[in-house]
Amino acid sequence: MEYVNPLTGFRVDGRRPNEMRQLKGEVGVVARADGSALFEMGNTRVIAAVYGPREVQNKGQQVNSKDALVRCEYRMADFSTGDRRRKPKGDRRSTEISLVIRQTMEASILTHLMPRSQIDIFVQVLQADGGTRAACINAATLALADAGIPMRDIVTSCSAGYLCSTPLLDLNYIEDSAGGPDVTVGFLTKMDKVTLLQMDAKLPMDTFETVMDLAIEGCKAIANYIREVLLENTRRLECQRG
Amino acid sequence: MVGLSEGEKHFIRGGIAQDLRTDGRRRLQFRAISVETGVIPQANGSARVRLGATEVIATVKDIVQIEVDPAAAAEINAKLTVAVQIEVVVVMRGDDDGEETRKRQRWGEERGCGDDGRGRDEPCGRLSWGNQAFFILIKGKFPFLLIVAQLQHPCLRVEVLKNFLLSSVLHCKDAYSVVKVGQVCWDLYIDGLVVSSDGNLLDALAGAIKVALSDTGIPKVNVSLSATTDEEPEVDVSDEEFLQFDTSSVPVIVTLTKVGKHYIVDATSEEESQMSSAVSVSVNRHGQICGLTKRGGAGLDPSVIFDMISVAKHVSRQFISVLDSEILAAEAAG
Repeated sequence: MEYVNPLTGFRVDGRRPNEMRQLKGEVGVVARADGSALFEMGNTRVIAAVYGPREVQNKGQQVNSKDALVRCEYRMADFSTGDRRRKPKGDRRSTEISLVIRQTMEASILTHLMPRSQIDIFVQVLQADGGTRAACINAATLALADAGIPMRDIVTSCSAGYLCSTPLLDLNYIEDSAGGPDVTVGFLTKMDKVTLLQMDAKLPMDTFETVMDLAIEGCKAIANYIREVLLENTRRLECQRG
Repeated sequence: MVGLSEGEKHFIRGGIAQDLRTDGRRRLQFRAISVETGVIPQANGSARVRLGATEVIATVKDIVQIEVDPAAAAEINAKLTVAVQIEVVVVMRGDDDGEETRKRQRWGEERGCGDDGRGRDEPCGRLSWGNQAFFILIKGKFPFLLIVAQLQHPCLRVEVLKNFLLSSVLHCKDAYSVVKVGQVCWDLYIDGLVVSSDGNLLDALAGAIKVALSDTGIPKVNVSLSATTDEEPEVDVSDEEFLQFDTSSVPVIVTLTKVGKHYIVDATSEEESQMSSAVSVSVNRHGQICGLTKRGGAGLDPSVIFDMISVAKHVSRQFISVLDSEILAAEAAG
């Protein structure tokens, strides 16, 4: 199958190779959470809810009493995929993604400021169309910021791939399942640091570099967008206060 | 679960006794309802219902099934599977037993798979009410559980939802008989997702399912049988023509929560924590009772139950009219 049209250079969904899907972020969507956000990348749509910092519920999980304990739970809704299928909770894929999100967020949260406390991040995929991992991290960042949890930097994530000898930014489901490499990068924009890097397929070294650079560019664009959403939200709050 | 001081508890109870609740509502007044349809484009029908801070999403997905055995096909006119799962997003703050809940969630998924519904005898003693809701609704995804008369068991709460849904299936049968040609029938999956939980989940979920069903378009199916009977019939699923469910007689659920001497509708989770018992009644447009359940520890005088039913009937009329007008508004907007 042709993922990039050789004549026009457009991808299956009409995007250019280095074009991202439409982003949408909304803050404060879950009424009873301390912080929450909805994040959309094209048809991928996720909700993140943050509870905390609060008292550690299970003391056994607390490894270090000087740092806050960050927990993350990732879950896909049954109706999120094209075919409705039952995925048991706690399957390996979601356990892995929970871990990935947790580690990425932990890298940016200033955990030493909140000793003996716990922060819970719940991420729920409403629609899956490729790049759920990246969308979840972006949603979690927004939700953490909404909850007012101190962070080093805004951490964003974006995926990139390499199909038909073209580096492609922000893969959708069709491109994701094409079997090519899928590089997901988590990036701290201001500090210029990579906190997450995952790839499942082989790729020559020099190509990998271009693909990763492309993903980092995507992360930077998302960071700009997230900053705008947060500023907009702050402005709104300011107006509400009068 | 809900951490309340003695003073707060007293305030809530006193407010209910004086017909002025903490959020300024009267006893039989609902919170502001907002309804949105088509929130999940990938589903055939979907709806989001907000009742104050409670927010639920219901989706309807249908999958065409080709039954090879004609006898079985005749029997299975339409299967309806309800999968209600309370998602992680609702884990509330101050949930003192988070790990326990999660364990039970898993347990519910693993053990509930058996169609005998065993494991229901597991005592829920350590769980507070909110967690029970958690646990029960997770089990609700196995709709055809055996009905065991365990009146004291909170699991019966599932039955209301099931009855409610079954009655809506009975209603939809006409639509199915149009769709079903030869050996083809539909599997209909209804998923409920709780985004934010602030009490009265059952009413909100039922309302969301009703709206989601009204939003559902079942594609029209044409089956052309080839001359030789051995070959599989050709099934043509239309992209343009849809059949709509007529949900006007699908019931809604009204839960009356008894706090002290009085009962209230649409309780928040703080109010639910103070309840002695609650009665959920599913009522259709004609005021007929389609399902009924009682939960909570305290007993109720039979005359009080009858009183509650008639009040629920009365309240449901308003609730249905609000939902209907929201459905119409959503249709007009969409």
